[in-house]
Amino acid sequence: MADLLPYLIGGLANGALYSLLALGFVLVYRATSVVNFAIGEFLLVGAYLTYTFALLLPLPLALLAALPLAFLFGVLVERGFVRPLLGRNVVAVIMATIGLAAALDGGVQLLWGPDLKYLPGSLPDLGFEAGGVYVSSRAVWNLLLALPLGLGLLWLLRKSRYGVLVRAISEREVAALALGIPTARILAGVWGVSALLATLAGALLAAASGVGHNLVFFGLKVFPVAILGGLDAVGGALAAGFLLGVLEAYLPGFTEALPFVVVLLVLLVRPYGLFGERQIERV
Amino acid sequence: MLSVENLKVVYRGVILALDGVSLEVGEGEAVALLGPNGAGKSSLVRTIAGLLPKFEGRVLDGKVRLFGREATHLDPVGISRLGLTAILEGRPLFRYLTPVENLMAAGHRLPPKALKEGMEEVFARFPRLYERRHEQAGYLSGGEQQMLLLGMALLTRPRLLVVDEPSLGLAPKLVGEVMQTLDALRREKGLSLLLVEQNARAALGVVDRVYVLERGRVVFEGSAKEAMEDQDVMEFYLGKEEVGFRQARRYRRRKRWV
Repeated sequence: MADLLPYLIGGLANGALYSLLALGFVLVYRATSVVNFAIGEFLLVGAYLTYTFALLLPLPLALLAALPLAFLFGVLVERGFVRPLLGRNVVAVIMATIGLAAALDGGVQLLWGPDLKYLPGSLPDLGFEAGGVYVSSRAVWNLLLALPLGLGLLWLLRKSRYGVLVRAISEREVAALALGIPTARILAGVWGVSALLATLAGALLAAASGVGHNLVFFGLKVFPVAILGGLDAVGGALAAGFLLGVLEAYLPGFTEALPFVVVLLVLLVRPYGLFGERQIERV
Repeated sequence: MLSVENLKVVYRGVILALDGVSLEVGEGEAVALLGPNGAGKSSLVRTIAGLLPKFEGRVLDGKVRLFGREATHLDPVGISRLGLTAILEGRPLFRYLTPVENLMAAGHRLPPKALKEGMEEVFARFPRLYERRHEQAGYLSGGEQQMLLLGMALLTRPRLLVVDEPSLGLAPKLVGEVMQTLDALRREKGLSLLLVEQNARAALGVVDRVYVLERGRVVFEGSAKEAMEDQDVMEFYLGKEEVGFRQARRYRRRKRWV
């Protein structure tokens, strides 16, 4: 059993990043019904932003500097690409996010170059050994940031006034508008938070293994994670991220295919995903 | 308070829903807007609430003035700030949220203390809602949902309340109850009320004046008393029983040529 523990820790460390990214993805889907295919690029942009700031500042400060900018980036994407297409066919918005993904891919390579870069600094070493098991600094940082943030966000969504408004808008935007709720501002905020979460995941990934275009492939995994948790279940995204991270750690070698296989199997039994909500129907 | 002048509204560029409607609601006044299905009642509600673009509709001509200000193309948030709250048709509450959360959403502009007091007031008025305050609102009964909607509307602190078909799908006894609640609230808070209804009999009991809309035009305008004395309105909107099918048909034809 003790031999397997390091795998568990490694899996949770990876899973924490999946969770962060999936949270960002599901939050937007839940609030606006937009499937954001550019979420992997959000992560990429976030990683490069952190890298740029890290050239000037120590890494923890660089991360802090990158986050507000990422929020702004999310808001701008909503204003520029999503808002003008609201009310149109959902496919139009989805196509726009695919186009945005391609544009960001290219833009990032133009701006920062195609080669893999390593951050000049690193996060303070928090690794420790307990009972013969070594817990890496990376794992500690990932869990330390992702878990409270994820749970905090869940709490906000469940209990805070702002969270209630987000859920209200996501259910019936017209009804929310009729009550004078400023839906546009709140939805822009949701995109901002989504970009912020993706940036945090990107920065943590970059701190561990450098910044390069290949980070996009990490972003691809968000889809199986989100579907596994239930596309509209924010808590589900958090849990499914960790679950998939751990599964991957125990079944190495299948990492590319594994998430999709798991999704297929789960959807066979639970078509709404593990934590997806059932619809209320009154006849 | 609210004045609508010669309003023409079109959906998707071709479907004319309102064809020159003019209407007034004065300070503290209760007005009913009656009419059959497809007369344009809900289109009027959407227009004055600023929600027309959400339904692919557009104002072709005419004006809406709210509290002395031009409000034809104002957005819903601005209109709500001015003091108009519209309860749209079809029980527009948030079904996955609990009554408490629905009220929180509605009272989004209130500071925390005022929100808490407002909620307590709503729960005091509707004890049934208090009992079920932590259940999903989608599982409340139709009457309870209507009460919740009224409570939500109150928490937006309106000066003019527009209610679209509150009686829809309710048992006759409940319809009476809803109307009475509306009436009591209006008097208590000094609200103006625009009550949009198909159920004319229920509405006439609680309003001062009446407009009857048909095919996008106002075909009758007068006090509630006049409406009750008017042959046409009585026969065809209050559904007097002795009217035969042939007469009803002749009436329809006549109105269409107006």
